Amino acid sequence: MSTTPRVSSAIAGEPAHFGSVLAHQPAIAESFFALYGRFWGSDVLAARIKEVARMRNARVTECGFCRNVRFDKAVAEGLGEEVVDDITDGYETSDKLTATEKAVLKFTDALIHDPDLLTGDAKAALQRHLTPAQIAELGLGVTLFLALAKALITMGLEPEVMDRTVLPTPAVLEAAE
Amino acid sequence: MSAVCAALAGDPVLAAHYADFRAKAEGALDPALVALVRQAVAQVHGIDSAPIDESTLDAGTRAAIAYARRMPFEHTAITDAEAAAMVAHLGEPGFVAFSVVTALADAECRAELVGLPGLAGV
Repeated sequence: MSTTPRVSSAIAGEPAHFGSVLAHQPAIAESFFALYGRFWGSDVLAARIKEVARMRNARVTECGFCRNVRFDKAVAEGLGEEVVDDITDGYETSDKLTATEKAVLKFTDALIHDPDLLTGDAKAALQRHLTPAQIAELGLGVTLFLALAKALITMGLEPEVMDRTVLPTPAVLEAAE
Repeated sequence: MSAVCAALAGDPVLAAHYADFRAKAEGALDPALVALVRQAVAQVHGIDSAPIDESTLDAGTRAAIAYARRMPFEHTAITDAEAAAMVAHLGEPGFVAFSVVTALADAECRAELVGLPGLAGV
């Protein structure tokens, strides 16, 4: 895995990072940020649940950037580091993660790693804790988290060193609405 | 229709945003290459069994297919040299779109394999 950018920044004066590299394709970038803002802005599924899935994806795909970013909306909903620390192998026995979050993590593992993990019991738990609309939104989120993490890694955009960073949660751009 | 788009049937606005993102990413590449990438990734996941006839393809396209096949399970093992070959073949903007399309193809296959639309009640 490379920490040397494999694509240059398309924004003068900025280093290569996800946004500056995606700027090579302005139409893709605009559409992505509109989608991501809409996804995070929706309250169908709580930001804390989305962030739990995003953290799991970050760890399984080995995306260091994703792993060190926290979105403030999820932090405000109580997703502290003591909870994030439990989003690791063996999360099933955590006393800090809720039953809903464990069901979400099992689904996340199934989508990003092995579909056989979604056993009948796991599927029933997911559908007991989430509505169909929430599952749809979760599925979109995990799809995007996985794809973006892999795109970021393969474009060599992994940071060599990165502190934990709380960022504003992506939001719908007013001009796009 | 992808499994993700199907699952979002109950939220037309989010579904439209997702479809637009997917279309913009794919629209930045040659449609033939997009189809080959999707087929190659689906084959790795055991979803598409139709063989790809690589004998008629140029070396750059064959390399792109080989690269795409590594995305599902070997993304961290892709080397600087492999990426540089894709940049040389597609240009930097093309490589950015290719990276997004290939990774999205992998994720969509996985969403299909877990039966996302069914879970979402579609």
